[in-house]
Amino acid sequence: MATAPAPVTVAGTVAMTRRRRLARTARRVGYYLLVILVCAVTFSPIYWMIVTTIRPVTANLRFPPQLWPTAIDLSAFRALFDHEPIEQWIWNSTLLSLMATLICVVLAVLGAYTLSSMRWRGRGAFAIFLLMTQMLPEALIIVPIFKIYRDLGLRESLPGLSLIDAAFVLPIGVWILKNMFDTIPKEVQEAARVDGAGPFRVLFQIVLPLTLPGLVAVGVVAFFYTWNEFLFAQSMIGDDGLKPASVGLASMISMLDTPIERLLAAGLIFAIPPVIFYVVMQRYVIAGITAGAVKG
Amino acid sequence: MTTRAETMTATAVDRALEGQRRRRLPWLLPYLLALPIIAYEGVFILYPIYQGLRSSFFRQQIGMPEEWAGLANYERLLGDTAFWGVMGTTIIYMVAVIAAAIGVGLGSALVLNRAFRGRTLARAMMTMPWSFPDVPTVLVFLWILNPSFGVINVFARLLPWIEENPTWLLDPRLAFVSVVGITAWKGFPFYSLVILAALQTVPSELLEAAKIDGASPRQAFFAVTLPAISPTLLLLTVLAAIFSFKQFTLIWLLTGGGPSGATETIVVRIYSTAFRFYDFSYAAALGVAGFLLALTVSLVFLAVQRRQDMEAG
Repeated sequence: MATAPAPVTVAGTVAMTRRRRLARTARRVGYYLLVILVCAVTFSPIYWMIVTTIRPVTANLRFPPQLWPTAIDLSAFRALFDHEPIEQWIWNSTLLSLMATLICVVLAVLGAYTLSSMRWRGRGAFAIFLLMTQMLPEALIIVPIFKIYRDLGLRESLPGLSLIDAAFVLPIGVWILKNMFDTIPKEVQEAARVDGAGPFRVLFQIVLPLTLPGLVAVGVVAFFYTWNEFLFAQSMIGDDGLKPASVGLASMISMLDTPIERLLAAGLIFAIPPVIFYVVMQRYVIAGITAGAVKG
Repeated sequence: MTTRAETMTATAVDRALEGQRRRRLPWLLPYLLALPIIAYEGVFILYPIYQGLRSSFFRQQIGMPEEWAGLANYERLLGDTAFWGVMGTTIIYMVAVIAAAIGVGLGSALVLNRAFRGRTLARAMMTMPWSFPDVPTVLVFLWILNPSFGVINVFARLLPWIEENPTWLLDPRLAFVSVVGITAWKGFPFYSLVILAALQTVPSELLEAAKIDGASPRQAFFAVTLPAISPTLLLLTVLAAIFSFKQFTLIWLLTGGGPSGATETIVVRIYSTAFRFYDFSYAAALGVAGFLLALTVSLVFLAVQRRQDMEAG
């Protein structure tokens, strides 16, 4: 009686563990399939862009297309630089974005400091004012902005364009920095003040050095908001020599004879800088865009 | 004695500090710091809004001076079936994008909310679509949806009832679906990352407790996880409404609002009224109508946010 059930139990346990292990493996495989699905949905358009750009033309102009490259041909990039003024576009975009970034960073530091470190009547109203401007669609004021720019002679000018771009990205800049400033313990600033430091010394010697990543994040967001911006650029700039890359690229769409791999090569060059910077600065940027309302 | 002396010194120090603080932080300073921003946004945002409002009461033709038109532009607006069609398209587009982007965002966040090999890589990938600029996004999707060579046709053809490549952006219904899909593709990873951050704050003890009590993963999700992240989901819904309402570049460059108005939202309509038909005063009136819609959505956002701030303490 006592000995008989023992082997049965052992065999049963072995069978059970095997079945359980199999179920666990199946679940893990299923889980990884889900992960792969998510990544595929996210990445496949970018993958396709890269594949189309780096393979020979003949591979692109056939249906059904092969889903992976079998030969590498980078001549699209050479043709791009030979046939389109892409250096000019990139240079214009860089200048434009630098100007907007400068304006945005300077003003955002002031705004974030007064929102984060000071208590004053009207602070809440100021915050709401910033939020409302952040919500405003650019297209709703394109008509009056266009008329104002025309009357002031600010059209066909990159500095003029950078002014309006900065106005739209500024609120996000303030939120990103305010979030960062809020992470500094109040006591640190208090202590400096007790030691006789004025508010600007506190800002420049204590707050800003501690929140450098936030400052960089604001720079990144402002730079690439302007870099990507299309509506204002398209409406204000008609001169070929002043076109920023977003407008230049869009103008390539309507040129029907542009080969697809050249078009996509241009798009890729334009997209790589923001993607790299955003991947690095992701954490700070997300918090700013959701206006710090998402806790944790 | 000592205690009293100590108290006295403490108050004296306090008073001295107070005085110092007052000297160091004049009451005017916060206003002076806020002023440049208020002035800047005043010139570039508020003044144009005022100008837009003003010119919606005027009539302007090219090369002619403006003349007072009273409510004529608004009368035209109310009787304009195209306008109501555009408003309808705008709202359906917003709802569709919100549902698609938040839905896929939530699903993918739940998938990624686990320790697994390659997690950092997956997160980096999630950052790519929303940091991918609009114009290159349009370029690649025009290619993917190309009726002759587009790769999407390979997959569409797998469906039994599709025998030839659909003309994606030329068929009204397909064009709308495509535009929604592309907007959602660009948007969902952002929501996913935010939801992922919120999921990390769900107390693990609660999930453990639910497990011990014999709750299935699904029950645990509905009883613990969902209530914990619902404030974030609500906020993201409003945020998605604002983002999709703002969307101009993708729609304009993909379809220009066509075919036959199937993808024409209010911002696209404003642009084409102004820069294709040069009807600036009517575009201004459309802008005011859009502004009212934007204001409503923003106020909802503020209300949601305020309630959450209060709940958070």
